[in-house]
Amino acid sequence: MIKRVEINYRGIFQKNLGKKIGSDIVIIASRMGRIGFSNGRYSDSPERNGIPCKYFAFVSHDLSEEELEAECGAKLDIDQCDISVVLDDTMLKGVEPWGWHGVRPINEKVQPNGTLLVVTKRTPDELLEFIAKKPYSWKLATYSGDLSFGGLWVFRDDLTHEKTLGAVAGIDSDIIGIEAAEGYLRYKTPKEPARAEAARLAYEEVRKTVRTVKPGEGVEWKHEIPVLPKWFEFMEGAAVPAVKREFSLGPKGQSRNETFKRGTTKNQRPVVRFDLCTKCTLCWLECPDQCFDQTDDGLYDIAYEYCTGCNKCAQACPVKECIVMVDELQFTDDSSPWEAYKANPEKYTEWAEDRKSTGRYIHPMVTGTGLEFLEGELVPFGGKRASPKK
Amino acid sequence: MATETIVYDKIKGVHKIPLEEFYTSGHRTCQGCESATTMRAFIKVAGPRTVVTGSTGCMYVANTSYMTTPWIVPWMHTQLGAGGSSAIGMAAGLRALKRKGKIKDEPINAIAFCGDLGGGDMGLSGISGALQTDYDLLIIMYDNESAANTDIQATGLSTYGAQTTFTPPGSKHRIMQKRWKKNVAGMLAVGHPTCKYVATACATFPPLDYMNKVRKALAVGGPTFIHTYDPCPKGWDFHPRYSHEIGEFGIKSGLYPLFEIIEGQVVYTYDCRKTAKGRTPVKEFLEAQGRFAHLIPEDVDYIQKRVDDMWEEWDIPGVAPIKGVLKA
Amino acid sequence: MIAEEPKTKNVYEREDLLTGCQAVSQGVRLADVDVIAAYPIRPYTEVMDALSKIIADGELDAEYIIADSEHSQFEIVKHASSVNARAFAGSSGTGWCYGFEALVVTATDRLPVLFLVGNRALDDPGAFGVEHNDAMAVRDMGWLLAWVTTPQEALEHVLIGYRIAEDKRVRMPMALAMDGAFLTHSQHMVKIPTAEAVRQFLPPYDLGEGRLHPDNPISIAPQVNEDWVMELRRQNWDAARRARGVIKEAYREFNAVFGERYSSPFFTEFMTDDADTVLIGLGTVCAPGRTACKRLREKGHKVGFVSLRWFRPFPTIELRESLKRFKAVGVIDRDFAHGSPDDGGIVMHEVRSALYPLKNRPAITNIITGLGGRDVSIDDCIRMYEIAQKSKTEDKLDNFVTWIGVRE
Repeated sequence: MIKRVEINYRGIFQKNLGKKIGSDIVIIASRMGRIGFSNGRYSDSPERNGIPCKYFAFVSHDLSEEELEAECGAKLDIDQCDISVVLDDTMLKGVEPWGWHGVRPINEKVQPNGTLLVVTKRTPDELLEFIAKKPYSWKLATYSGDLSFGGLWVFRDDLTHEKTLGAVAGIDSDIIGIEAAEGYLRYKTPKEPARAEAARLAYEEVRKTVRTVKPGEGVEWKHEIPVLPKWFEFMEGAAVPAVKREFSLGPKGQSRNETFKRGTTKNQRPVVRFDLCTKCTLCWLECPDQCFDQTDDGLYDIAYEYCTGCNKCAQACPVKECIVMVDELQFTDDSSPWEAYKANPEKYTEWAEDRKSTGRYIHPMVTGTGLEFLEGELVPFGGKRASPKK
Repeated sequence: MATETIVYDKIKGVHKIPLEEFYTSGHRTCQGCESATTMRAFIKVAGPRTVVTGSTGCMYVANTSYMTTPWIVPWMHTQLGAGGSSAIGMAAGLRALKRKGKIKDEPINAIAFCGDLGGGDMGLSGISGALQTDYDLLIIMYDNESAANTDIQATGLSTYGAQTTFTPPGSKHRIMQKRWKKNVAGMLAVGHPTCKYVATACATFPPLDYMNKVRKALAVGGPTFIHTYDPCPKGWDFHPRYSHEIGEFGIKSGLYPLFEIIEGQVVYTYDCRKTAKGRTPVKEFLEAQGRFAHLIPEDVDYIQKRVDDMWEEWDIPGVAPIKGVLKA
Repeated sequence: MIAEEPKTKNVYEREDLLTGCQAVSQGVRLADVDVIAAYPIRPYTEVMDALSKIIADGELDAEYIIADSEHSQFEIVKHASSVNARAFAGSSGTGWCYGFEALVVTATDRLPVLFLVGNRALDDPGAFGVEHNDAMAVRDMGWLLAWVTTPQEALEHVLIGYRIAEDKRVRMPMALAMDGAFLTHSQHMVKIPTAEAVRQFLPPYDLGEGRLHPDNPISIAPQVNEDWVMELRRQNWDAARRARGVIKEAYREFNAVFGERYSSPFFTEFMTDDADTVLIGLGTVCAPGRTACKRLREKGHKVGFVSLRWFRPFPTIELRESLKRFKAVGVIDRDFAHGSPDDGGIVMHEVRSALYPLKNRPAITNIITGLGGRDVSIDDCIRMYEIAQKSKTEDKLDNFVTWIGVRE
């Protein structure tokens, strides 16, 4: 018997978290007398901020370490898993780690009756509006938590690690048991009972939230999975065609890399109040991903499928409430915001304000030191241009 | 001023920046990658009649995931230490083919970029060789102060005290990165009297400064070199939102001197001397990054002291660590 | 020795006394090379000395770059080649090794640069005599690799080399190897072809859709993950296999233009009709080898000599067909492969594995000789024949490998 756990995380921000979870599953399993090992998807390295990455943990009760290694180890990715953990719920919109990989469903590897385990503040039903349907039934479970982003050197220690261990135990005790998880956490940090308690709470929570997803439940997956060419079907000398030179003003006026878009890197996207824009160019100028298309009226449209959600445009924009970063799960398509604005400025602005709302979070300079929650300001259409940022 | 003696197509305001991209969307760089901005800006102002090589490093591996590319202009990978030699190869080949009538005789820019590991450490002698030729070529060393592509190891250009995977703080040694940052631009300018243009820059601060330096380098002709300071959200451990601010902090604190050396004349493009703009405390820059989280006040004071010394004591601040001549 | 002139026209402009290196420089001049990168190391350096003078005297219009190291030297010509300039470089011994990284990528980028390798023993201690391990280092990297034995052949193989390397079906870098000192520095009369004859044989270099130019926007060698490397290797494997046919074609063409210079492209047989024992070797060892062969024939021994020219691609079928006619084959190695099967040399391993599929294989024996520039005399070669002849009768040799010329 083999138990496979896949941990989906955002590159760098959750690198340490993903690895800690994978490692501790193995340590706890072996404390229970089980065989296990853990590894990451090698080609994710070197990781980039925001890129969807994977870590794995494999556990067996009966196989030898070598058999388990042969079954699971000598592979770059897995074919299926018992549990797929998702450490940032915006990855439910799909994951594309490299070119020619395609935007894959987050539950691609979840086997029949396997579980997609998501840390989120949303309900399973809300999440199902983004997850691909499957021909068989599988399970969806959630446990609550804020976005847990840290850095390479400063780790975000917000108990997401412990919660996830408890949640995994709650879904499948054949991987790790909750008592063993608690015992291990108490043994590791005797002075910090909160860690074991967090695991226990998540354990109980997932047993409540877990629900079966019937065959066909979920969304139709619209992204194609590319077929890799055969050896004689592409140029020799390691040469590949460049992006074709094309430029005009307006949406999609700039030619872009069609075979590797970056959209699944973002967990927030910039929402623009075109009516407040001073045409200062800074969002366009600061964008490291060339996502802004200047329009004939001097505004800047956004090619969302290429936006990585880095926040630089929102930071650079000198006008309050003009560019605001909004959680990616608030959006269902990547269509041009400028076109929507031109079609109906009032309606677009209303929609934009609704997305933005007033509850916001922002990361401090050192990512791992925690989220800052702020109160935004609503600016009605035609309302006075908001005061410049201080 | 020397900088005015160069005849070049100056970009006079942000609204005058060319809109068209030649390094376009769809690359595997980090969120908020400042080096990606460095790439985007140099090719934007160099234009489509350009051939580019990129040394192994982040801007190679992150930018191109096989069978796709973000480059619209011709681009080729070159080896880690081959920034200088690849530029020579392209420039020499094109010159010969034009002279011998094998291709149309027209201006084509040859630009090579390399990181601080490739250019500042391994490739230094190759760049030196390139700067001794008379070919029209530009070498851009994008400096994110680490081997960012192998998960952040220290290089000869990492800031003193920084945590990297080769220099982790420990219970016995708080600071493992004990080397002071190598002054590559200054060294190259001082060592290559016939090289007409060497500059340091930062992609987004001050606005337009870097783009115009690239334009100048290409206009001056001959072999030229630009060293850019590229804040790295991944390795320096700050949120991508603040890439611009971190660069601005570094420059205003005087840690990263911005200058041009044009035919032997130094021009400070952000003058941190007390007699000019002055400096902000390096503390502000260090505190904003997780890689310095382990530093204690004495470490910060030491860095501050060395920066003050560089600006107030050196004969040519930021360029040559020489305080004057002793009588024999 | 040059075979009879082609009837039609005079294809040679003059005859000069040239060293192997100087002969190569004439080949480079005639190939109208565009970019040359130089860095000094004995013994290949003399080709760069000669080329700098040829350029100084205006006999060749080319960029001549004095590099800061072999690594830069090789990268310079690699990138010159990528913008569609015909490029030339070379090296010897540890210099060749210093630039090895660049040599590897020149092959994986499939750039047809021609390099002269003046074979030199590897340090340490610092040595300068001939040994083949330097050039042999690229044998599995996607290179064309051939040894020449006279200055005349050296000049001609610059032209033949570029033609094969630049062929659309091949596009591999070419290492033209020659024995240090014995060939690089010994002077012989060399017939120098006319530019017109060379034009007939060697078409201009055209990288086509593979060239780096603003009119042909491509990206060369983007980073690969595990999804691509195997297919790329497969492409290069195919090119190396296609090269065999292109090589045959090139020699046919060369003979058509310059007269019957080469009886067969990959290797030259000497006195092999009715022979029962042959020696096979690379490079200048063929001179004492053939002479010893002659002397033994005079004494009635049925011996012959096979002078191997092409090592990559290896002429598997042709050599198998040739050697199966003999009872015993003695393989001469001017290289070492410490700890390899039977502790033999590189050439022996390749020859032996080429013969393996035969039902009745000739007896094989291996001679290591001439390392670090040690002389190989006619008498040495007579001894080699004796050893090979002995191997016919003894089914098991107590020492399969014999070192000849070592003090013991």
